[in-house]
Amino acid sequence: MNITIGQYYPTNSNIHKLDARTKILSTFIYILAIFFAKSFISYNLCALFLIFCINISKVPFKMLLGGLKSILIIIIFTVLMNMFLIRSGDVLIKFWIINITSDGVIMTFRLVARLILLVVGTSILTLSTTPIALTEGMEVLLKPYKKIGVPAHEIAMMMSISLRFIPTLIDELDKIKKAQMARGADFDTGNIVAKAKSMVPLLVPLFVSAFRRAEELAMAMEARCYRGDINRTKMKKLEYKKNDFIAYSVIGIVFVLVLILR
Amino acid sequence: MDFIKSKNLKYEYVKVEDDNKKEIIEALKGVDINIKKGEFVAVLGQNGSGKSTFAKLINGLNTLSGGTLFVKGLDTSEIDNIWEIRKNVGMVFQNPDNQIIATIVEEDVAFGPENIGMPPEEIVENVDKALKAVSMEEFREDAPMYLSGGQKQRVAIAGVLAMKPECIVLDEPTAMLDPKGRQEVLSTITRLNKEEKITIVLITHYMEEAALADRIIVINNGEVAIEGTPKEVFKNVELMKKLHLDVPQVTELSYYINKANKKMPNDVLEIESFVESINKIGLKKGFEYKKVERETEEEKEPILEIKNLSCIYSEGTAFEKVALKDVNLTINKGEFIGLIGHTGSGKSTLIQHLNALIKAEKGNIYFKGVDINSDRKRLKEVREKIGLVFQYPEHQIFEATIYDEVAFGPKNCGVDGEELDRRVKEALSFVGIKEDYYKKSPFELSGGQKRRVAIASILAMKPEILILDEPMAGLDPFGRDEILGNIKRLHKELGMTIILVSHSMEDISSIADKILVMNKGCVEMFDRVEKVFEKEKRLEEIGLSVPQLTKVFSRLDINVSKNIFNVKEGAEILISALEK
Repeated sequence: MNITIGQYYPTNSNIHKLDARTKILSTFIYILAIFFAKSFISYNLCALFLIFCINISKVPFKMLLGGLKSILIIIIFTVLMNMFLIRSGDVLIKFWIINITSDGVIMTFRLVARLILLVVGTSILTLSTTPIALTEGMEVLLKPYKKIGVPAHEIAMMMSISLRFIPTLIDELDKIKKAQMARGADFDTGNIVAKAKSMVPLLVPLFVSAFRRAEELAMAMEARCYRGDINRTKMKKLEYKKNDFIAYSVIGIVFVLVLILR
Repeated sequence: MDFIKSKNLKYEYVKVEDDNKKEIIEALKGVDINIKKGEFVAVLGQNGSGKSTFAKLINGLNTLSGGTLFVKGLDTSEIDNIWEIRKNVGMVFQNPDNQIIATIVEEDVAFGPENIGMPPEEIVENVDKALKAVSMEEFREDAPMYLSGGQKQRVAIAGVLAMKPECIVLDEPTAMLDPKGRQEVLSTITRLNKEEKITIVLITHYMEEAALADRIIVINNGEVAIEGTPKEVFKNVELMKKLHLDVPQVTELSYYINKANKKMPNDVLEIESFVESINKIGLKKGFEYKKVERETEEEKEPILEIKNLSCIYSEGTAFEKVALKDVNLTINKGEFIGLIGHTGSGKSTLIQHLNALIKAEKGNIYFKGVDINSDRKRLKEVREKIGLVFQYPEHQIFEATIYDEVAFGPKNCGVDGEELDRRVKEALSFVGIKEDYYKKSPFELSGGQKRRVAIASILAMKPEILILDEPMAGLDPFGRDEILGNIKRLHKELGMTIILVSHSMEDISSIADKILVMNKGCVEMFDRVEKVFEKEKRLEEIGLSVPQLTKVFSRLDINVSKNIFNVKEGAEILISALEK
């Protein structure tokens, strides 16, 4: 059985080897840059930077387009809304009640470019970083905000336990499904109501089992002296390497340039 | 020095019934248990005897309600001592999946040390040592989900070891494992005890595991029933049976023989010493015993035929795995077949093919002459006629009442009205669930009862063939005997054809007509029980064994037929074979 969570695509590139914190913060700065960008040239700069990153990451372009597929509907909706509803600027096409103006076209272009840059950019983060590394990076980055009540450790613990148990529960669901089929249950035929009803024999045992597991896990964690983030150490400390500083410099330069050229 | 010292230890809790009636349950009624440092103690007892409660008290997961319990001189009822106690007493639980926290083996082992604030360099060192101690160092970067049950339990033990405890408490650590995994865990435990001098408290209901300990404590109904070395404990054959616990077959044999012939010691634990004692007394020259088999020569009618069945998972990819290789079998009506084989031998794949949960891609399966995959629309009918009870069937329970739970199967097959009612009641009374339970929630039942309800839900579909995948797994001897009794009656009274998957040769030999041994996707043997047991050497080569009774007879210099599986019968034969 082979279940992949998230979309991690291992190529062992230099981007993959970067510290998760570097990648998360860089992605954050990159998103900021996109929102600051207004001019044609600054957009191009962001796009160039993105292509540069894709190139180093060695992730096939096809994988990145996968992320776009899921937001296709949003893109189409944005295009239609902006094209038809913006009325300022020179009228380019007039047809029945539809008015397409120059401002509309520019705005549409800008928004679509922004969306694509955003989605592809964040995809690189998830494609080049394992979920567990992402979790660890988030925990360390959120730590300073603990004072204002951000439960950094708890969030990270929840994430990593989910990552650990999702495959187990998927496995279990498969077993339950087979067992109910052996009892004559039918999951494939019937209308929507019948299909929804047929989920009950799957979901109830799955939830019961998830709760049982949670209870047992909690006990096992307590037995191993777990008491939240009190007096806790880490076997592996995240450490910045040379490449991380280079990455920070590059993203910094791109950000400053975008600000200047906006 | 006593590492664990309890005096008049009590634990009670309040159980709320569905009608809001409160009932105080005394799980431990004042026990005095002392465990020395470096000792290996096994705690035996039925489910609900209080043995798990005792384990949780040691670790501070439960707090005592009376008496005293000191661990390493620390009072467990003192809340400030809890972390120090948990650091020194590691705990390993039954379900390997539910105690591994991290997604990578070494990270999981590091979890405990991280919690107690060990410096990182020390953690790395301790994780290395712990993984080595359980022989799992080559898996340190692996994801736990790809490990076998035995390997997962070893990771769990390593996770405890990395905290440098002086004592490890294991609460039924092998109940969910196959024999291979069980062996791995047990040899790890004994090695840790012998080499690292770690105090071991092993809670179990397998007598062969308890026999490895220095001392056994039998807990029954919240009280210590028997205490002593394995020899001292197991020789109380009658008392152990009364407490619904097992004793090794050789011990039972020696006990019966001792009653008739005092020269025989009554506390033999191993086959070698048993054979030695018998030979010392001397056997009659040329003793012979032939048990005539009631071979029914009536016409055998094939009910299930498997022809050239093969199955390959993920064919053509890197994950390719041959699960079944050219399997040919004919199963006759009314036969009782024991199916045995290691995890990965193909037995699960085979039984899922038999009721068309997996479609036969290569080869055919005929039920009463009709190919079960010939008409995919009639699958429900196939599944109705060939019932399959999965492993841990109680995990599929979902209805609000026991009655509805059992009605689910037949309803799916289009049964309704009086017929449905009749079937549900029949099935439930067959597994011994009384009428006043019908409206109760199945989730309120005990483990063994839940399992019987789950089996009833298949029985209510009126199958002609019943396949059970390890129906006794994880149950205590009492629950096991109840289920075995039910299955026996299905075969005898209803004449049902039965395929029983089990890891226990003892269980299978006592009820099956034929044994099917699977190995690496192939049928290794398929023959009458005694014929299969004749090939003891080959069975051991593929990691299986024959019952102790069979071993004893094959090692003694007498001519006794191989079809003796009952210990009392075996003892009688041996008594008459011994020199006076």
